[in-house]
Amino acid sequence: MNSTIGEITEFLTVALRQDIRPEDDYFALGLADSLFALELVTFVEERFRLTVEVEDLDLENFRTAVGVAGFVARKTAGAGGAAEPADVHEPAAAEPAPEFTTDYEPLR
Amino acid sequence: MGELPELAGLPPAERSVCLGLGIERIRTGREADAVGLAEHAAHRALAAAGLTAQDADALIVVESRAPQTLLSSEATRLQELLGSRDALTFTVGGLGCVSLTPALLTARGLLAADPELEHVLVAHGSTPATQGRYRHPVTVNGDGGGALVLSRTGSVRLLDIVQETNGKYWDLFQVAFRDLPSDSWRERCQDPATYSFQLAVETRNRLTALLDGLLTRHGMTRRDVAGYITQNLSSGSFGFTEESLGVHVLPACRDNLRELGHLGPNDVFLNLYTALERKELAEGDRAVLINVSPVAAWSLLLVEIGAGESTQ
Repeated sequence: MNSTIGEITEFLTVALRQDIRPEDDYFALGLADSLFALELVTFVEERFRLTVEVEDLDLENFRTAVGVAGFVARKTAGAGGAAEPADVHEPAAAEPAPEFTTDYEPLR
Repeated sequence: MGELPELAGLPPAERSVCLGLGIERIRTGREADAVGLAEHAAHRALAAAGLTAQDADALIVVESRAPQTLLSSEATRLQELLGSRDALTFTVGGLGCVSLTPALLTARGLLAADPELEHVLVAHGSTPATQGRYRHPVTVNGDGGGALVLSRTGSVRLLDIVQETNGKYWDLFQVAFRDLPSDSWRERCQDPATYSFQLAVETRNRLTALLDGLLTRHGMTRRDVAGYITQNLSSGSFGFTEESLGVHVLPACRDNLRELGHLGPNDVFLNLYTALERKELAEGDRAVLINVSPVAAWSLLLVEIGAGESTQ
């Protein structure tokens, strides 16, 4: 766990261009923008071979290095330590406009 | 941008973000409100298609950010201004910049449902709801009108449309206005961390899945797309989209951002037609137009350059 926190802290220090300690809340410090968020999640996914799903996007999982390490531990334990494939959403195929029937309730 | 009235009153951190968006200037059209801007654009689009306002069988107005009055109708006002007396007329909206997509879905439905209907006019006037133009930390709003004529033949084919929404973010950004003087209205993000983290990562996941699905059902891969076009929010937002999807956004987007700022639902087709004028796209090319709104909504349009069912 400590080595994981160390790796994450090292990444954060480089990405945010300032020393980040394990408990520092870089969101509360105003250091995080959406590009950083993308960088952080990509780092976590690639380094720890997991997929961050929409349901994982609780900020508590990502606001400190300690939080990220905890998330990684829970996620990899849940997946048996293996990488999880990403869900691929298939939008419904476009179809010709259907005919409509409606029930009409007059205004009273 | 240095002359933006609210700039002097911004806290240093917000001022720094504002000046780093990649926007150098915006156009402001005090002489015309949103409906006036839409009217000018509609006349230009109709003329480019060789049509008059009377040729529009339907007029779909993408709602403005804030109407001039309540209870009245901007859609029928535009109908009256244009003189499109016989056009089936109504407004669509509710999805911020993505509100263009329900307009296109509706136009497609009308054209599919009624073989006698030939031309659907879609129009939008973009002006901010507030006196201030900076939306921290997202963009600076300019003024601009946009209009499309959708017909069965034309120079750009609209091949497919996909859209998803997530109501969890419905009020992440808002302008409180009840019982407040209009000069105190502000576009506010209620939770910047949610915007810059949760919504950002969900946007990456949603756009990736939407793009994969869209291309798969057309037998395409990312390499088959000649150009990707997004709305104009900031240079950072272009980088975000590029990194999220592993694609490059056409240069027209960055240039329009720099010169015009953000024009809401009008951005993506403005960028498409700029790219066409500048030969960034050629006959036979396919392009993907990407729209995202923090309400939250995500939409992709697949277009092909060349004659066929089209927009103008």
